[in-house]
Amino acid sequence: MRIIDTLLKVDRRIIYLILAVVVILPLLLPSPQKVRVMPPVEKLFWAVDTIHEEKVLIMDFDYEPQTQPELEPMGLAILRHAFKKRIKVLVLSLYVQPLGLAKSAQDRITDEYNREAKTNADSIIYGRDYVFLGWQPPPLVPMLGMGESITEVYKSDYYGNKTDTLPLMKKIKNYNDAELLISLSGSSIPVSWVAYAQNRFGIRIGAGCTAVSASDFYPYLQTGQFTGLIVGMKGAAEYEEMLEAKLNVHKKRKASESLPSITYAHLVMIAFIIIGNIGYFVQRRRR
Amino acid sequence: MKRGLPLIFIFVFGIMAMLPFLIPHPYVQNTDQFLRNDFLRIIAAFALVLGLGSLLRVHYDKIKRRRENWEYSWVLIIAFVISAFIGLFGGVEGAGPLPTRIGSFHFDIQTIYMNIEVPLGSTMFSLLAFLMASAAYRAFRARSAEATLLLGAAFVVMLGILPLGDRISPHLPSFAQWIMNVPNVAGMRGIQFGVALGGLATALKIILGIERSWLGGGE
Repeated sequence: MRIIDTLLKVDRRIIYLILAVVVILPLLLPSPQKVRVMPPVEKLFWAVDTIHEEKVLIMDFDYEPQTQPELEPMGLAILRHAFKKRIKVLVLSLYVQPLGLAKSAQDRITDEYNREAKTNADSIIYGRDYVFLGWQPPPLVPMLGMGESITEVYKSDYYGNKTDTLPLMKKIKNYNDAELLISLSGSSIPVSWVAYAQNRFGIRIGAGCTAVSASDFYPYLQTGQFTGLIVGMKGAAEYEEMLEAKLNVHKKRKASESLPSITYAHLVMIAFIIIGNIGYFVQRRRR
Repeated sequence: MKRGLPLIFIFVFGIMAMLPFLIPHPYVQNTDQFLRNDFLRIIAAFALVLGLGSLLRVHYDKIKRRRENWEYSWVLIIAFVISAFIGLFGGVEGAGPLPTRIGSFHFDIQTIYMNIEVPLGSTMFSLLAFLMASAAYRAFRARSAEATLLLGAAFVVMLGILPLGDRISPHLPSFAQWIMNVPNVAGMRGIQFGVALGGLATALKIILGIERSWLGGGE
């Protein structure tokens, strides 16, 4: 009984310390974990994989530093996938904060491919293979405007180039030339894409969200409004798994490496809840 | 006039925003395109300036009146002025007329963002895990049948989303997925319908001038 009382009165700093240890230790010794791929991620993977040669993939990077650890691995994995399959990509952000992270993700993946490229055709070239459209406020303007003309909404790209002079943009007019739009966000932005871009122009939408906000998105997945859904770090690890298994892409698996840390953190949480409940029932019986 | 004009604007533009979804006539569509691509962007630019001005005014006022934690307002104002100056004259990646590097030390906007804002933002959010752990330990109790059901579902979902869940039982991830796909969707859809209908009713009340609290004035 004394143990139960001691456990129930444990200082919160000890809880913090235990959690910090189980989160940090596995990150210091990274070992990617294998995961079973679930249908929502599998659907999105195949939706990207089957994009036609003449169509583009639009990627909306709308995560901020707060949600970067969960959402960035998704963005990196999807960009790797697209570039591996030579799918043309348009990148944008609806808000100003995620711009820096969107740029950093593109730079990292293009560098990765260009380091291994031997010819110009193998390389990932800006303006030919991908374009960073940047940010156009307010969000409603690009969401609806891109259904009519992308170059009218984004007259210049992130780097200040006139978009209608870029080789890729000469072939792309509006959503009709895009097969899929994937929105990575910690907020309800993917739902806004459905409400405005999909309902009015019919573009297919895929989403990547944080684990904590996943429950909001499942209704859209069930109705087919979302072509696929990546949920949290586990979802990103599933996408990495698919990429490795189906396309033989062996790169740093950021999400898979973080899974042990998440696993131990969840186990500690479960253990805390069980201990807390045992204590609660023991105290109740005593009364 | 002070209240009448905004009410007329909200009525006219509210109706005009709805029409393009209902009438495919080119006149309506072109007007909508103009309003969205030109008019809305100009308003957004004004709103941005207004927002930044308001932010600075609030913090200046806080410093002037020595309100609680007024010292932090200096941090905001100094960071604001420095980053605005570097951004305006140095460019996002140091392409502007202002030099943004001293030797190997860079201080362009992208470098500042990646090295200050990103770690600060991540730190703030990661603190949530510690608070959640502590709160779960102290408050997540099986006090009633509903709470026990919630607790059970939470355990299944938590274990099901982990690779460990698959090793415990290959059915666990599928069961977790079922919880998300069926009971969760049923509940969420009900909530979302309610929110959507509430939003629609509120929007109509604002457009028709029935709901006027947004005008302020405290009447």
